[in-house]
Amino acid sequence: MLRIEDLHVYYGGIHALKGINLTVAQSQIVALIGANGAGKSTTLNSICGIVRVESGTIEFLGKNITNVPSHHIVSMGLSQVPEGRKVFPAMTVNENLLMGAYSRRDRAGVREDLERVFALFPRLKERRNQTAGTLSGGEQQMLAIGRGLMSRPKLLLLDEPSMGLAPLLVQEIFRIIKEINGQGTTILLVEQNANMALSIADYGYVLETGKTVIQGPARDLAQNEDVRAAYLGG
Amino acid sequence: MSRVVASLLLCAVCILLALLRKYRTHVVSNPALKYSYYPALILLAALGINYLLTALGANKVYTFQQAVYGLSLGSVYALIALGYTMVYGIIRLINFAHGDIYMVGAYAGYYAVTVMHLPFVPALVIAMVASSVLGVLIERIAYKPLRNSPRITLLITAIGMSLLLENVGQKLFTSTPRTYPTIFKASYEVFGVSVDQSRIIIFAVTVLLMIGLQYFVNYTKPGMAMRALSQDRDAARLMGINVDRVISVTFAVGSALAGAAGILVGIVYPQIKPTMGIMPGLKAFVAAVIGGIGIIPGAMLGGMIIGVSENFVTAYISSSWRDAIAFGLLILILLVKPSGLLGKSVREKV
Amino acid sequence: MQRHPNQLKGSLYWIAASAVGLLILNYLVATDALDWYYAGVLSTAGIYIILTTSLNLINGITGQLSIGHAGFMAVGAYTAALLSVHYDTPFVVNILAAFATAAVAGLVIGLPTLRLKGDYLAIATLGFGEIIRVVIQNLKVTRGAFGIVGITWVDNLFYTEIVVLLSVVIIWRIVNSATGRALIAIREDETAAETMGINTTLYKVMAFAIGSAFAGVAGALYAHRMTYISPNDFTFLKSVDILVMLVLGGLGSITGAVVSAFSLTLLPEFLRFIDEWRMVIYPLLLVVVMLFRPQGLFGTKEIDFGALGAAFRWLKSRFGGAVGSAPQRTVETASPSSGMQTEVQTSSLQPAGVQPDLSGQPGSAAVAPAEPSSRPFLEVNGLSIYYGGLKAVSDFNMSLPEGALHGLIGPNGAGKTTVFNMLTGLHPPSEGEIRFRRKRIDRLPPYRISSEGVARTFQNIRLFKDLTVLDNVKTAFHMNVGYGFGASLVRPPSYGVKERRVTSEAERLLEILGLQERRMELARNLPYGEQRRLEIARALATRPRLLLLDEPAAGMNPQETASLMELIRWIRDEFALTILLIEHDMSLVMRLCERITVLDYGVTIFEGTPDEVKRNPRVIEAYLGQEAN
Repeated sequence: MLRIEDLHVYYGGIHALKGINLTVAQSQIVALIGANGAGKSTTLNSICGIVRVESGTIEFLGKNITNVPSHHIVSMGLSQVPEGRKVFPAMTVNENLLMGAYSRRDRAGVREDLERVFALFPRLKERRNQTAGTLSGGEQQMLAIGRGLMSRPKLLLLDEPSMGLAPLLVQEIFRIIKEINGQGTTILLVEQNANMALSIADYGYVLETGKTVIQGPARDLAQNEDVRAAYLGG
Repeated sequence: MSRVVASLLLCAVCILLALLRKYRTHVVSNPALKYSYYPALILLAALGINYLLTALGANKVYTFQQAVYGLSLGSVYALIALGYTMVYGIIRLINFAHGDIYMVGAYAGYYAVTVMHLPFVPALVIAMVASSVLGVLIERIAYKPLRNSPRITLLITAIGMSLLLENVGQKLFTSTPRTYPTIFKASYEVFGVSVDQSRIIIFAVTVLLMIGLQYFVNYTKPGMAMRALSQDRDAARLMGINVDRVISVTFAVGSALAGAAGILVGIVYPQIKPTMGIMPGLKAFVAAVIGGIGIIPGAMLGGMIIGVSENFVTAYISSSWRDAIAFGLLILILLVKPSGLLGKSVREKV
Repeated sequence: MQRHPNQLKGSLYWIAASAVGLLILNYLVATDALDWYYAGVLSTAGIYIILTTSLNLINGITGQLSIGHAGFMAVGAYTAALLSVHYDTPFVVNILAAFATAAVAGLVIGLPTLRLKGDYLAIATLGFGEIIRVVIQNLKVTRGAFGIVGITWVDNLFYTEIVVLLSVVIIWRIVNSATGRALIAIREDETAAETMGINTTLYKVMAFAIGSAFAGVAGALYAHRMTYISPNDFTFLKSVDILVMLVLGGLGSITGAVVSAFSLTLLPEFLRFIDEWRMVIYPLLLVVVMLFRPQGLFGTKEIDFGALGAAFRWLKSRFGGAVGSAPQRTVETASPSSGMQTEVQTSSLQPAGVQPDLSGQPGSAAVAPAEPSSRPFLEVNGLSIYYGGLKAVSDFNMSLPEGALHGLIGPNGAGKTTVFNMLTGLHPPSEGEIRFRRKRIDRLPPYRISSEGVARTFQNIRLFKDLTVLDNVKTAFHMNVGYGFGASLVRPPSYGVKERRVTSEAERLLEILGLQERRMELARNLPYGEQRRLEIARALATRPRLLLLDEPAAGMNPQETASLMELIRWIRDEFALTILLIEHDMSLVMRLCERITVLDYGVTIFEGTPDEVKRNPRVIEAYLGQEAN
């Protein structure tokens, strides 16, 4: 579904990505793990056309989307839930969700998806007229995910959904991710919480200083000595 | 006795206003209250001022006459300030050229009325369209290439564009002031205060445009995209928003409002010249800051405050102090509440 | 004590060149080769040179956008004019008085407005500039819009040029000293500057007042040259003129400002035929320059005799002469990777108050955790902070003995960096207290905390990106240069000695961190790992006793991380430091730290040794994540 080959990106004078290779197959959950500064977010941002790609190719559903402007990406069925949630703080929950459907024109479909998101996150429904800035961290994360779903993506990119959340909430979020995947959305998950990510993923990649260094089925990665030593504190 | 009552009432009004402000988020979630909030605020303030004047024993007719003059001048500032505030909200740029776009609007309106002999409304549209096109052109040519440059570069470019427009204006329109023909002659008297038809029109058009803008920004898709962009540009891009297009729309709408201000100023203060945009431009930016930059009702409020206080300074002190009041208010506001009267404070992230 | 040869030569070149220039000018005027009209144009150019260089001090060097410079020029001009008309005081007195009044005006206006940043500051200075003009227009003593006539005419080009020269030299010396480095640091990154011990408010106000004072001097010259002044000479457009000159020359470059002011004043004289279009061409030029060369003609660079001198020195060093730039080579240094036991001369780098027996014994037992009887080195009690109702960190407690190497871990967003921000005063805590060496520091501003001996690095790297590697470190010596503002103006022999010591100590730090080869490169061009090391070097230059490292290994590969680990342990011993570090690389934290505090969701969930942390079920659940079932 998504294929990245030998991706190189320079970011503020720094060679941030030095050859990323990864593939995401239909209806899988793929986890991308690695330390801060390894290039996980940069990878997602180059997929979405937010940062400029120096060399390499990104292919989505057989189409080359390398350096395609970000506003064309969403309508192709790819959406990102960014790191740190990045909800629009002065807009209401409802408006935030509608912004997620910005690239769509089918009003009925949007209304339908709005209900689907509210079914997934009942808490958002209660607060639909509240401004997003007044929500708690967990609710903001739910809103960010809901907003990402509003474009009805085929592939959802999630950047550190567990960041800054209490352990119980993290479990809740991961349960929901699994549920979204069960409904047919493919997921590429960037996480620092390696164990948690690998526990729900089908396949995983480990990033180190801008390169994909280890890959394999999530279950194997979780048992891999090197991975455990570096990221799980083993 | 009545003075004591008046003072007490004034206090009560102040407390009420303060309370209203505190609970505003709850109040405005109710649509009925949401749309009566600002009018109610203005009405309450007017009542308060009335009582205060009674208490002070001032000449009310004279004062209200000055207030009427102030509101029509304030309308011009408010319209220009709306464009400033929108542009600043989106790309964090003080678009110094905005005051000169207003000047071009005034000339476009002037030629539409005199050369083409058009009535007011089509002339208004022409002025708005001309300014709008100019605004978008300036953005495309001068600001867009600098989108990722330091802010100071952008600011200096804006100053350069402003000077360029003024001086090209001198060449194109000559520095001789032009005089708008009188379009609205009628004048009415309300409780001894004379109100010109032209002043009613300038105020009404301003209020209508502001309501239209509020609707546009809050309930239409491009408007919502503008708000999203001003809050988080990267997140907005992830939503599939075409940033360049939204910025162009912002310049188009903001400049159109400046163009409207240009023709409206012509029907009340008929003399126009190529340098007319400098001072009102600066003062309108001040108005936007006073009201809270990026906030549409704030720009309106700030514009009115400056317009009214300038007229009061002229009436009660001296016209030579007129230009100082706007900047004095600005500095006061910046020191007391840097985010402006209606603004919320933000914290820098380390 | 003798002057640094290069520095002496540099000044000599300048003095000689200026003297020759002045002599030629005077000769030309005296022999009527240059008629009075062109002499006048040259005076005007001189006035603009002062205006532009003084605005450069505020806008270019300190990075505070002021667009109301004409207001201060007006203050100076009116001071000189009134003195001249009413008291017939001599020229020199008027110049000095103009300097003083404009400085006071700058101080009064700078104090409140410099709290504002960027655009807001710009608009406030514009506002004040206008207010000054309106006030002058309305005062009786300034005769309102009529202006003042009959000011003594000073037509001696020589006097003007002397004043211009003095002004430029003074500003040059301010910029090229520790004061200048502090100002540039504020321009580059105010927050980082503050944590280097620089009182940013003080320095901003100072730069603003000095810049305003010289604008006043220019105003006085203007008044004496025109003999008639009115408020309309000092409008917003005048401020814009000065700004245009500055920007075309290159914000931050003094020579650029001089050349640009000079040529833009003279240019119209030679371009008479386009006079009619001048006012269209100027702004067009400004916009075009911004679009295609936004850094101006000179950028932040200076033209000097340095280029010549450098070539000369290079030749000399090739053919083996003892040259002034040698000191850094005479120092025997060792990088930790090449052997930790090597003796390093660090005595001058020792923080004040450290027992001397520590200095020569890297890795000695003296830095082991202090005896339990002594009070903790750093003690944090009940620290909490709220952001808009949300509790980012609550009830954080920590107690570090001297010499500890302590880790702070937790998931992203747990509040670790917030703890650092509170410890360094960047975000004052909402509740709780911090005691560092028994002194409460939780209500102190960041620069004071820095001078108490707390230094830090930043997670998102806050170097002074457009300065060289060496200048980054030299800037951080701010608190320890050993000379004052006066010395940097007068430049007694000891000044050169102290400056050279700063340079050699900075170079030694760079050597320790393996960055010696890079010292002349811009910080922004370093790879990630080296930027992080440079941040550590910069933090060490403040001579800290407590070093806070925020994710020092982020973005490093395993080899780099391994050598960093060695390095951290080594500098702890070498500089007798106490280190608290945030890190995600578990292998590094577990092997390096003696004790670890685990933060989750703003709450401390555990504190203990690495082994205890690894085994603690709460930590495993919260941070390491639940095991796959």
